[in-house]
Amino acid sequence: MAQVLNQNSSGSYTFSSQPRAVQQRKKYKEQWKMQPEDQLNQYGNIMYDRRVIRGNTYALNTLPATSQPDPIEIQRQQEERKRALARRRAKEQARRHTPEPIEGRKHIPIQTELYLEELSDRVEEVDVDVQTDAFLDRPPSPLFIPAKTGVDQATQILEGELFDFDREVKPILEVLVGKTIEQSLLEVMEEEELAALRKQQREYEELRNAEKVEQQRLEEQERRLREEKHRRMKQAADVLRMEKETAEKLAAKAFAKSYLADLVPSVFNNLRENGYFYDPVQRDLETGFMSWIMDSTMEELNSVMVGRLLLDSVLREVVAKRSQDYVELIEKFKEMADQPPVVDELTAQPINEETNNNLDTTMPQEDTNGEPNEASNTGDGNEGNEEMD
Amino acid sequence: MANCLIPDHYPNQIDITRTPLAFGDRAVPRLNRELQNKTTLLTRQRALRSLCDYLHDPEHIASCIEENIPESLKELLSDSDAFCRYKSAECLYVLSCNSNGRRAIVDQGIVKNLSVLFDDKEVMARRNSHKAVEMISEFSFGSEGIVNLNLIKTLVDKLKTELDDIRDLILDTLHFCMQVDTSQALEAKAMEVFTNLLKHESQTIRAKAARDIFDLSIPLEGKNEALKLETIALLVGLLKDQDSVVRCKAALAIEAIAITTPGKYGCIKAGAVPSLVALIDDSLSEMRVNALKAITCLAEAPEGRKALLEDVEKIKKLISDPVPIVSKHAAISVRIITWKP
Repeated sequence: MAQVLNQNSSGSYTFSSQPRAVQQRKKYKEQWKMQPEDQLNQYGNIMYDRRVIRGNTYALNTLPATSQPDPIEIQRQQEERKRALARRRAKEQARRHTPEPIEGRKHIPIQTELYLEELSDRVEEVDVDVQTDAFLDRPPSPLFIPAKTGVDQATQILEGELFDFDREVKPILEVLVGKTIEQSLLEVMEEEELAALRKQQREYEELRNAEKVEQQRLEEQERRLREEKHRRMKQAADVLRMEKETAEKLAAKAFAKSYLADLVPSVFNNLRENGYFYDPVQRDLETGFMSWIMDSTMEELNSVMVGRLLLDSVLREVVAKRSQDYVELIEKFKEMADQPPVVDELTAQPINEETNNNLDTTMPQEDTNGEPNEASNTGDGNEGNEEMD
Repeated sequence: MANCLIPDHYPNQIDITRTPLAFGDRAVPRLNRELQNKTTLLTRQRALRSLCDYLHDPEHIASCIEENIPESLKELLSDSDAFCRYKSAECLYVLSCNSNGRRAIVDQGIVKNLSVLFDDKEVMARRNSHKAVEMISEFSFGSEGIVNLNLIKTLVDKLKTELDDIRDLILDTLHFCMQVDTSQALEAKAMEVFTNLLKHESQTIRAKAARDIFDLSIPLEGKNEALKLETIALLVGLLKDQDSVVRCKAALAIEAIAITTPGKYGCIKAGAVPSLVALIDDSLSEMRVNALKAITCLAEAPEGRKALLEDVEKIKKLISDPVPIVSKHAAISVRIITWKP
């Protein structure tokens, strides 16, 4: 408050303060108390302002001339205020508090009443309004009837004097009937016009259709004639083409004929020369039989040669053996010659027999005892000789 | 009796079903305003009734178009009320009887909205929309518009299911549209539908179906289609119909199909020649012309010529016919029959 008032200390008794919004009253006292004091009553109440003069002004103890207050007084006041503040703080300290929450937790206000209620900062308000009833509709103004003036007069009118229906109805009827007749005449005329148009249309269509058909018929005729012409032309062209083809074919035929006339004999000659024409039996004999017979003859000759060679070798061997035997015999005889002659006779006989046998080729049978291999060889050779015969 | 009081209620209307017309130039703006009234159904209905009569006078059409009445009617075509739908279609029909009205309808693309009504469950709405579309299709600008909207297929499909009097209108519409373009109709298998309608008991529908077959047979694909579906046999049968118009249109269709060589032989085989010769003495000039044209077409085939040579004298008499077109075509016919290669 002091702040506000000090702003205009120059003026004697004027009071002014900056306009500001009225603060909402807090719902809970605790919070209200927590507010700093000078914010609570920011606006000054002039009822309690000492500078505002109330009551009788005669016994007024005026303010000292010096506007400056006594410094000692100010200091005293300030000290007093400080003391009061300290006192309050001490009192605050002394009050019992809920013990501090343990580490990691914090206090939260909760409701412990039986019924929970919504807590809010706002003071509950209810809007109530009042409205007067709407005005009633204004009733329609009554028909204006001018006030009657003058004096009433009366005239007697008898039946038929003022209004004669037969006469009065005439113009109305005339209008009605006239209108109706006019309308119906219009419609009849319209219909007649339409009918006339239709008739004209029909006549026109008759002409048009006939001409259209005629035109189409002529078109069709023209088309047919054209087609016929095309066909005829095509036919003529075909005939020409075919004639030409025939002539060409004939020419080609003649040419081919002349060309082929001396071709056939020359071809035959050529073929014959190249040996394409032959007697199959002869050819078979030449190619198949003759070679075969040559081969088999050669084989026969070979085997004969082999037989002869073998016989030669056998003879050689036998001769060689005999000569050896004879040599041995001679030696024996030589020995025998030294010994008695009985033995000579005995040995001489078999030698003769043996030589005879040899001529008959039965000799090897004696030899087989000593040399079986040779005997078989000679046997083969003999057989071969027999076959040869 | 005589009272100076101002009465607090106006006199009752004479006809409560229609709006009284305002005087002179004020009539159309007021009607338009009431047509666009979204809130009161009765106002719209009454305005439509009055408008329907009002439009009959060709003098009023220009002012209506200027005041954009067609646009309001277009909106009303999709109204939720059945009466509004069919009455607005009727108004458009009356409007389309006038050349300027038709042009305005086509220019503002109302044909598309009218075609939505083809599927309406209200018979009157369908009938009136078909009437309007038929009237629009009668002039080339309108039929081109219809063809461009690809409505042909829808119309051909409707032909299978609709009521007889509506079929009548659809056949007319298709007739005019096919003069612009036949390819859409061919794609929609219209030939099959028309062939089936040839057996219908109503004379007008038979005649119109035969006429539409003629229109559809103008291009070559149509002729081939008709041959494939054996329409010729039915048409030859119709040559002996009691109704002269049916006979006339049947002959018309035959002459279109008999342009091609297979068509000619189909007709000769079906026995068309004697029936046609019997028809050339008909009192109706169109009938005579059509019969002569059909005979001319058939005479181009050797068999037909052979059969017709017996009746040349009968045809020669027609050369002196008072109707110029008949005598002209009779001369052509005689020339073709007596032609020798």
